[in-house]
Amino acid sequence: MSCTNNNPAARRYCKRLAVTLLIYALSLVLAIGIFLRCHPTGILAYALAVLPALPLIGLLAIFGLYLAEEKDEFQRFIGVQSMLWGIGGTLAVTTVWGFLESFVHIRHLNPSLDSVIFWIFVGISIPLLLARYR
Amino acid sequence: MKNRLRVLRAERDWSQADLAQRLEVSRQSVNAIETGKFDPSLPLAFKLARLFETTIEAIFSDKK
Repeated sequence: MSCTNNNPAARRYCKRLAVTLLIYALSLVLAIGIFLRCHPTGILAYALAVLPALPLIGLLAIFGLYLAEEKDEFQRFIGVQSMLWGIGGTLAVTTVWGFLESFVHIRHLNPSLDSVIFWIFVGISIPLLLARYR
Repeated sequence: MKNRLRVLRAERDWSQADLAQRLEVSRQSVNAIETGKFDPSLPLAFKLARLFETTIEAIFSDKK
C-alpha cells in the first residue's frame, strides 16, 4: 500500500487519511484551547474530551474501508498483517509498560496514546512486510 | 507453492509489470506469487490460468 502508486483504493485511503488527520489535529487544538480558557463542565466537558478520539477511531474505519475496497489480494494481505503487527506491538508495549508502572512506578502511560503506538507499529510493519515478500 | 509463472512470462516476453497490468494487481503481488512466497486465491489462480491459456495444475504444483 502506497500513496504514490496507481492503485485507486490506496489513493482513496490516503485522501481519507489526510482529511481525518487534519480533523484530528483541529479537534485536539479546539479541545485543548477550550479546556484551558473556558474550563467547561458537565456534558460539554465530556463531549469535548471525546472529540479528538473520534477521528482516531475513524482511522480504523478508514483502514477497514481500504481493505474492503482493495482489489489486489496481496495488498489486502499486507494490510491485514500490518494491522496484526499493530495490535501485537501495542499489546506488547502497553503490557510491559503496565508492569513497569506497577512495580517500578515509571510515568503513567495515557491510554489515549495506545492509538499512536498502534499506528506507529502499523506504519513500520508495512515496508518491512513488503521487503519480506520482495 | 512452486509455480511456472517466470517461465510462462518469459515465453511471452512479459515483464512482471506487464503481467501485473493484465491481472489488475500490483507488480509486488506478481513477484510474491512468482517467488512462491504468497499463494494466490482460487479466483486469481483461475485468472492466471485463463491468461496463459492453460490449467491451474500446469502453473502451480504443491510438490516439494
